[in-house]
Amino acid sequence: MPKLPKVRGESLGTILSVVLAFAVGGLMILLMGYDPVEAYVELFKGAFVGKFSIGTTLEKFSPILLTGIGYAVCVQTKYFNLGMEGCLYMGAVAAAGIGLIPGLPAVVHIPLGLLGGILAGTVWGAIPGALRVKYNVNEACSTIMFNYTATLLTSFMVFNVWREVTAVSRTPIIEKSAQFTKILKPSRASTAIFLLVFVVAVMVWLVYKTNFGFKLRATGHNMFFSNYVGFDAKKTVFLTVCISGAIGGLAGAMETMGVFYCVWDNFSMGTAFDGMLASLIAKNDIRKLPFTAFVLAALRAGAQGLERVTNVPKALVTTLVPMIIILISVDGIRDLLGSLFQKKAPQEAQEGVQG
Amino acid sequence: MIAMEDRTADRPEDTVVRMVGINKSFPYVQAVTNGFFELRKGEIHSLIGENGAGKSTLMKILYGLYQPDSGEIFIRGEKMDKYTTGRAIRQGVGMVHQEFMLVNELTVAENIILGSETTKALGFLDLAKARTMIRKYIDTYHLDVQPEKIVNNIAVGEMQRVEIIKALYRGAEILILDEPTAVLTPQETQNLFRVLRSMREDGKTIVFISHKLGEVMEISDRITVMRGGKYMTTVNKADTSPAQLSRLMVGRDVMLDTRRVPAKPGEKVLEVKDLFVLGRRALSTIKRISFDVRAGEILGIAGVEGNGQSELAEAIAGLLEVQEGSIQIDGTEVSNQSPRAVRDAGLAHVPEDRNQRGLCKEFTVYENLSAVRTDDRTLTKWYWRDEKKIARYGDGVIAKYDIRPAEGKALAGSFSGGNAQKIVVAREVEMNKKLLVVAQPTRGVDVGAIESIRGILNDVKSSGHAVLLISADLDEILALSDRICVLREGRISGEFDGNNVDIEKLGMLMTGGDEGAKAAESAG
Repeated sequence: MPKLPKVRGESLGTILSVVLAFAVGGLMILLMGYDPVEAYVELFKGAFVGKFSIGTTLEKFSPILLTGIGYAVCVQTKYFNLGMEGCLYMGAVAAAGIGLIPGLPAVVHIPLGLLGGILAGTVWGAIPGALRVKYNVNEACSTIMFNYTATLLTSFMVFNVWREVTAVSRTPIIEKSAQFTKILKPSRASTAIFLLVFVVAVMVWLVYKTNFGFKLRATGHNMFFSNYVGFDAKKTVFLTVCISGAIGGLAGAMETMGVFYCVWDNFSMGTAFDGMLASLIAKNDIRKLPFTAFVLAALRAGAQGLERVTNVPKALVTTLVPMIIILISVDGIRDLLGSLFQKKAPQEAQEGVQG
Repeated sequence: MIAMEDRTADRPEDTVVRMVGINKSFPYVQAVTNGFFELRKGEIHSLIGENGAGKSTLMKILYGLYQPDSGEIFIRGEKMDKYTTGRAIRQGVGMVHQEFMLVNELTVAENIILGSETTKALGFLDLAKARTMIRKYIDTYHLDVQPEKIVNNIAVGEMQRVEIIKALYRGAEILILDEPTAVLTPQETQNLFRVLRSMREDGKTIVFISHKLGEVMEISDRITVMRGGKYMTTVNKADTSPAQLSRLMVGRDVMLDTRRVPAKPGEKVLEVKDLFVLGRRALSTIKRISFDVRAGEILGIAGVEGNGQSELAEAIAGLLEVQEGSIQIDGTEVSNQSPRAVRDAGLAHVPEDRNQRGLCKEFTVYENLSAVRTDDRTLTKWYWRDEKKIARYGDGVIAKYDIRPAEGKALAGSFSGGNAQKIVVAREVEMNKKLLVVAQPTRGVDVGAIESIRGILNDVKSSGHAVLLISADLDEILALSDRICVLREGRISGEFDGNNVDIEKLGMLMTGGDEGAKAAESAG
């Protein structure tokens, strides 16, 4: 019996798509009159060489991965959660508020801050979820609206409630007891990174190994089947959305307590959408997400470095990301690239045989 | 050997299609092995075999939907290279699939021209011209179709005729019909046969895929038999018999008229009282019916489809809202309860639509078999799904119900009709519930699987459980039921003892012929 040959070809195709995207990007850099080799060397350095670069990559990795997981887990139930950005902001704001409480020991303060972020994210994610489950409100619309609300609410908190005397657009610095320790100084990465291992492990376990995950996937694949065998599809979707919101809130709290020690107005600038892209590239498989999220984070960090050192505009690097995504999401290209290096192309895999 | 004689066709100039040495495999399955098919102009050629025999696959290759791994296709003597659906259509090959491919929101006429629109200058649709052409097909072949109706509002039989016109409109000279009668009532089948015959007179060539031998014997000129993906033989209808064909199909003699097991009716397990359920159409609304099913018996619900059968099963299973009345399983009221609660009260349910509802095609066989057992502590380890135990349980069920291929990790969607249905039946029967509701259990299922599924239903009954059998297949109802209720237009129009059935009267009650007779009487 053949053992699902498609999986390997798919991963291989994904990697080759990335390579192809870099080649096309290099050509573009060349056409604009810059040296692509130098640009890529600096890009690589900006992502990986030196404490600061690695730290920056890790710093960006955390929210991309978490929001990516949040999106991926919802997509498994066919709920298109575009609201991770909002949950991220709400989690960050909640953590910033809790972080200001004076006189708590770190062992209490840090879990309390994280928990506050998780709770805020859960509530923020659950509202569109409830609207969808109860009144069939399209979640793609409602979650995007909730993003705007969250972003503006954050601005309100920054400029009106916790206005810092120095007149910069951020909240006051949180108490030492609520701060994660910095690692890889002078970058902004912190020990909060280690939480990611735990979150990924729990989510992989939950989605792929438990009955809840089984129901979740069944609901996403086939709502009729799910209902018929007696799963409560609405409950499953709602719980999944709550979990996703919780992860988004956690991501926000980790930004506040690990990276910034405060909340800046508009600090995220669409991080959650990078998470979504990471999830799309990983075909919404949480087990592959850490890799794709890491590549995206490295690209973002590298792009910063590139801009600092060379004349190549950051915008050019930023175009690399969508290019990779297009190349990967066009299944035909990916499968073609994957099959070039395989003896036998997997044909019509998973296709039904009838008659 | 018959096969050799037929391969050297006596009128080779009439051969329009020759497929030689066709091989086609899918993951886990070799669908067609060294397939052979030959079609002569102006014949109705039946392609028969059990589910999974490779009939559909071979014909999808002829229609260009699948690329064969190897083999050659000749159309009118010309060898086909780089064969695609587009080329097939240009060569005059048309296909009507099992699942209709229509846009429900568009009109019949729009559906027919979709994709090959006739246009006026500047690309405007020339609907008038299209209508004239459609009208021509309707008149030539007596296809009863209303071009202006929205597809959503027409019956299944009419949709099929729309599909046929669609193929003709694209210039089909060779028309492949994939199990066209599976969705039709006996009357509609007769109508279809009339259409097919008039098309044959007009010089069209027709491939009729089926596993219903009665129909095959009625309509075919020649018959090709496939078994297990292999070509068995091609025979002239005149030279064969149903018995010979069924031997060729399954490789053994099949006893389709299962002997009824004597019933030992016990207590009432299912009690339905004054049930009113809104149907999808006026005809299928359940209008205050009452009946009960006892332990150790099979109650058959006979009737032409669309008279409330689907609604009845779904209402019992908690999948459809009940407006009035009560449904009790083993004394527990279950109307308007969640599907889960109904299952807990004692229901196992084989739904009529295994593709939509009965199976999750993206899941493996193991996952499908264990889906109703998420609470079964023997299949979990703390909060984990214990994959090893699930696999062991699954392998046991696969062996017990002879599900083939016995590959628990294969996706359910890759199984043929008969084996896919066995997965559903096995899952439900293994729950060992007091009540088993089965809807259309053997539709689109091959002879071998029909035999084993009917055997399973008898076993369930013998073990003292109640079985409600809803089926449009009258032979099935007659073979299995201890009592028979006829459902027509949402009402029970009659009831029979299974040992003592007046078939003629039963048919009248199903079709409403009794009212016709009464009307004639009172008029006379």
